[in-house]
Amino acid sequence: MFSDAPHFDVRDYLRKEMMPHFLCPGCGHGMALRALLWAIHELNIDRDKLAVVSGIGCAGRLSAYIDANTFHTTHGRPLAYATGLALARPDLHVVVITGDGDCLAIGGNHLIHACRRNLKLTCLMLNNEIYGMTGGQVSPTTSETRLTTTTPHGNSEPNFDACALATAAGAGFVGREVTRHVPKLKELIKAGLQHPGFAFVEVVSDCTEVYGRKNDMGSSAEMVLRQKSEMRPSAYRDSVDEPFRSTDLPTGILAQNNRPEYGAALRAAAAARAAK
Amino acid sequence: MNEQSNVVALNATSEPTAFNAALAEPTNVLIVGVGGQGVILVSKVLASLAQAHGYEVKQSEVHGMAKRGGTVFSHVRFGPRVWSPTIAKGEADVLIALEWAEGLRWLPHLKRDTGVFICDTKRIVPPFACRSRRPGAPMRYATETAEQVAAYVSEAYAIDATKMAEELGNERAANVVLLGALSTVLEFALPEWEKTVTAFVPKKTIAVNSAAFELGRNWIAEAKNEPPSADAAPAAAPVHAPYQPRLEITDAWCKSCEICVKLCPERCLTLNADRIATLVAPEKCTGCRLCEWLCPDFAIRVHLDPEAPAMEAAQ
Repeated sequence: MFSDAPHFDVRDYLRKEMMPHFLCPGCGHGMALRALLWAIHELNIDRDKLAVVSGIGCAGRLSAYIDANTFHTTHGRPLAYATGLALARPDLHVVVITGDGDCLAIGGNHLIHACRRNLKLTCLMLNNEIYGMTGGQVSPTTSETRLTTTTPHGNSEPNFDACALATAAGAGFVGREVTRHVPKLKELIKAGLQHPGFAFVEVVSDCTEVYGRKNDMGSSAEMVLRQKSEMRPSAYRDSVDEPFRSTDLPTGILAQNNRPEYGAALRAAAAARAAK
Repeated sequence: MNEQSNVVALNATSEPTAFNAALAEPTNVLIVGVGGQGVILVSKVLASLAQAHGYEVKQSEVHGMAKRGGTVFSHVRFGPRVWSPTIAKGEADVLIALEWAEGLRWLPHLKRDTGVFICDTKRIVPPFACRSRRPGAPMRYATETAEQVAAYVSEAYAIDATKMAEELGNERAANVVLLGALSTVLEFALPEWEKTVTAFVPKKTIAVNSAAFELGRNWIAEAKNEPPSADAAPAAAPVHAPYQPRLEITDAWCKSCEICVKLCPERCLTLNADRIATLVAPEKCTGCRLCEWLCPDFAIRVHLDPEAPAMEAAQ
């Protein structure tokens, strides 16, 4: 922190003509975007070799602010676009920014199949538990009993644990972090970017204007502070003196495996066919 | 161990030494340090060695503060007959300190006229000694110099054992460097020291610990040869380059979410009349960058200027 090296300046990586961004005051997505750009900066990834693909929704808009190659694609399909892009251009670092509704509801099938293929991609799912942009409808990750515009008496559906889903579907790298800990989130995204297969990172973000306000969760600062009481690094998850409570949110790297990467396997098979 | 075997072992192995020649009184060794430095290992090695010599050994310790970086001490008393398990003030023959301030804290326990003080110059500053979170701020840490301490005790050695151990590749071997220094004072036979140290340190670190032991032993021998320059000055307190934090706030990007205002640990930000984040107490700002990291609108940029500059928030 106190080194003489110049500290990362996020503004070097933004399209300044697009700023200020469209996100509401206190929205956690800004911090997530900073962590992503910081990770890219620290890994020295050439911006010409970086492709950011995003879907629809608040999270989907983030790609527009990144000064790199960016795609703003259709609802729920960023992983499908990114799969094609990563297969055609294996030299690129493909990063998908998607929201909880975009990734788990509309694009749910794309997610599980991307996990299954284990193609080299980094999928950043910004989970704010709501469809913020379209007016605050219930999403697959909305906690039970929470109020939204479509659940005026409280959400009665059980919610998704996206990390458990990605792990079960076979993703090579699964992690979760809250936006409050930007440096830790940066480290997690860095680890995801360096993973040779499919990396799924769930970023627990805040929707202050639509979700927080409806559920009486206080100001944006209070929502950020709330994250701290809920998170628990996975290292302590099942320790003897601290048994896992179902209300806690494990963070950190939750799963990692070294399954074969799909793109390399596909290219090897194609080369073998061509050689015959 | 019964008294009969004590006598036999004593006759068989012990040689007349600096402290255990008289044998009427037990030898008192006080080992102090900070949790996690290895105080208990030093005392275990010493106690086991003395026991192998057939002495009666009493050891009492306060430990368990390792996680908090708290004070740890261990009293080791050995001799033909030992009654009390603890060392009274002014009764310690040798005081081994693994940390500079801990050594000074326990100095009154040392014998004024004959006591030997062996201290690592490593400084571990406890959190409550920091009066301000600003790096480089003055601390309430011991200010005594090695020269002042040397004037107070009969024989004093200030070793930078931590640095020596670091150069060997493992900072945690500093306690064994001090054990090597202790070995020159107590004069149990060298092979026995080495055997006991090897038995107590983790198997993977035997090589580095043997080297550390040798280094500590040789350092004292060299220090005895040239007494005037023997006392190394304690390492200077780590002082960060003085800098002045300066906040660059892009007014047009700020959306008045108040996250920076409410989460600043020093409470030095506020919203101005236009509901734009403003630094109101620049003298309190430590440049921790929390506001920069948590601003969702990228409106804050913290600069750490090397020399004292104008403090206003830019733009």
